[in-house]
Amino acid sequence: MKRRVTAAVSIAMSLGLTATACGGDDGDEGGKATDGKGKTLTVWIMEGTNPDARPFFKEAGEAFEKKTGAKIKVEYQQWATAQKKFTTAIEGGPDQVPDVAEVGTTWVPQFARTDALIDVTDEVKKSGLGDDLVEGLKDAGTLDGKQYGMPWYAGVRSLVYRKDLFAKHDIKPPTTWQELRTAAKTLKEKEPNLVAFPVAGGAEMFAAPFVWGAGGELATESGGKWKSGINSPEAVKGIEFYTDLATKDKVSPAKVSTWTEKEVGEAWNKSQIGMAIGGNWTPKAIVDKNPSLKGKLGAVPIPGQNGGMSKSFLGGSYLSTFDTDKKDLAWEFVKMLTTGEFAAKWAEQTNYFPGQNSELKKIAAKKDPLVEPFAKQMLEAGATVPKTKAYGEIQASKVIPRMVQSILTGKSSVQEAADKAAKDMDAIFAKDN
Amino acid sequence: MKDASVVKDTLVDGGPKAPARRGPPRPDGGAEAARRRKRLTTLTRPWLLLAPSLVVLAGLLLWPLIQVGKLSLQDYEVKFGGGVGTFTGFDHYSDLLTGELLWKTVLPNTVFFAVACVGLTVALGTLVALLLNRLGPTWRLICSIAILAAWAMPAVTGTYVWIWLFQPQDGMASQLAGSLGLIDPETTNWFTERGPFYAIATLNVIHHGFPFVAITVLAGLMTIPKELYEAGELDGANAWQRFWNITVPTIKPVFLVVTILSTIWDFKVFTQIYLMPGGDGSNPDVYNLGVYSYIEAFAKNDYGAGAAAAVLLTVLLLIITVVYIRTLFRQGEEEL
Repeated sequence: MKRRVTAAVSIAMSLGLTATACGGDDGDEGGKATDGKGKTLTVWIMEGTNPDARPFFKEAGEAFEKKTGAKIKVEYQQWATAQKKFTTAIEGGPDQVPDVAEVGTTWVPQFARTDALIDVTDEVKKSGLGDDLVEGLKDAGTLDGKQYGMPWYAGVRSLVYRKDLFAKHDIKPPTTWQELRTAAKTLKEKEPNLVAFPVAGGAEMFAAPFVWGAGGELATESGGKWKSGINSPEAVKGIEFYTDLATKDKVSPAKVSTWTEKEVGEAWNKSQIGMAIGGNWTPKAIVDKNPSLKGKLGAVPIPGQNGGMSKSFLGGSYLSTFDTDKKDLAWEFVKMLTTGEFAAKWAEQTNYFPGQNSELKKIAAKKDPLVEPFAKQMLEAGATVPKTKAYGEIQASKVIPRMVQSILTGKSSVQEAADKAAKDMDAIFAKDN
Repeated sequence: MKDASVVKDTLVDGGPKAPARRGPPRPDGGAEAARRRKRLTTLTRPWLLLAPSLVVLAGLLLWPLIQVGKLSLQDYEVKFGGGVGTFTGFDHYSDLLTGELLWKTVLPNTVFFAVACVGLTVALGTLVALLLNRLGPTWRLICSIAILAAWAMPAVTGTYVWIWLFQPQDGMASQLAGSLGLIDPETTNWFTERGPFYAIATLNVIHHGFPFVAITVLAGLMTIPKELYEAGELDGANAWQRFWNITVPTIKPVFLVVTILSTIWDFKVFTQIYLMPGGDGSNPDVYNLGVYSYIEAFAKNDYGAGAAAAVLLTVLLLIITVVYIRTLFRQGEEEL
């Protein structure tokens, strides 16, 4: 009963919100202002997505206070340590978790399993927001039909390259794996001081597109049980192509075998890269740090083995509400941020894609050559990693980087490394099933 | 020990009255009760005085230690508002002790690395202390400040500096070795092999650890009476003999302390390994006990297995420390 009342209030409030957004009508607020008066929502936001998130949240906080009378208190978290901080807070219970938090899609299964996150499936349906959500992203945070929060923004990796060098040496942006290989070899030959195509041992999401592109899977589920697919013949073929670029074609020197995406980014900033897997957020980040590359970057979706596209990891963040005594108010705040004006503003400031189809289409319509390829990749060839708590643990214990690195250093053959990785994955799946 | 009890008695009895009480006991009950009361106070007072620090230690050290021990016997799952532990007995220990990884990688890495670090840190620290001891006040101040800067540097910062120096292809050490023709910078990555990886980590830990040894040993050196050396010189002892026969025996307790502390620190090195490329779990050849425990507990969320590894590390350190202290004290007694 309480829930229904709240939902009704929610709908009324979101209507009120739209009304204000359109006409600036302050008249209908009087009744609802009492709803959150004197309350403060604690909000955890990841640092680094938005170069400067403070002004954004100041504005959002003011708008929210005007709507509901409640204040928000934003606490910024670091990606590197946030997962542990969340785990500790969850262990501590309702007094320690935030009311609203940005939750990486790959964390959702783990947090949901602890019963800390609120299932908002009904609320999303009632607000009529469900149909407009980007499918891949909605799927990433939905477990057993329950949706744990609202998709907030998303990103995807494609291929970023030096347009100027490609033109200079008459290289075409690759559309198949073979072309990718030829392009990298030509770059290596003509520009020996550059890393033609980094095969970064520490970057899981650089390797995954080749597993998917060859028709493999990281892991598959049947009857509720997960099993690794990383040593299937298809997956091994993809891994072999990817690592051969370094071990046989030498387009990626030994130093790169311990690189993560961070080091690849630093190398871009020093103009040391010819072409690399990169996220939709990277072109702007590179040019910000290294203005000499302005206008010299291009992007294409990651080519498929024989044309088309290889799938790439579609990652992003949810805004989720935790099971605290302010969860209804928290949901109001989530709705405000993930729809309409604030969602669009956030996407614009961060260079990520919004979680709503309508907003995403607006961005694709702008035809920006550094945005469109990513939008295409996201809409047509986005993939998610296995949706289970165990996969988060597989990522955290670096199973894929371990496999790639042991191939790059020549310690194991591709098949041996893949078998070992499959064994490690299955051990973790078995533990959590 | 005798002196101490006299002092204690004096304190307990309130001084002046003490001599009277020391006479032969009178056979009446009052004196008997008084004596019992006195014994009780003698027994309880030291503990009463120690109580605050014991409570703090128990809260900060013993309690977590017990919890880790308990956790190592459980499968623990995080739940909202408090996790659930399932008792599994010694499963985590048997998994840990029967695993190949522990015996082939984790323990050898931990032990050899610690031995190398402790030996080299104490040796370098002592040499620097001997140097400082010979310097005049101005230079001693300058040098002390310089080495203290190395000590004051946070482990994270120091580690990144060493990583930069040995960065494959671009780092200073790599370029130097490349220009000397020792390596091919394009195909050499020092971080992927166990040997070079730990050599770099050893440099890092020594650099961070020797100032403490140097300053502590210097403090010890300054307490040694000059006369001992003069006597030694008269007897014709050279510098080497003077060091081993005068310096070392005189400040042995100082060496004891710095070696034990270094052993404890170097066995549980974590930051310096974890932050190096490949040290975060992507290169299983370079696991040490600290990193292994961390990955089990916080990457795989297998808190029980992580706790078991942590307990193993604690037990290992306890054994080393106890053996070490016993040997040294026994030697000390023999000499007396």
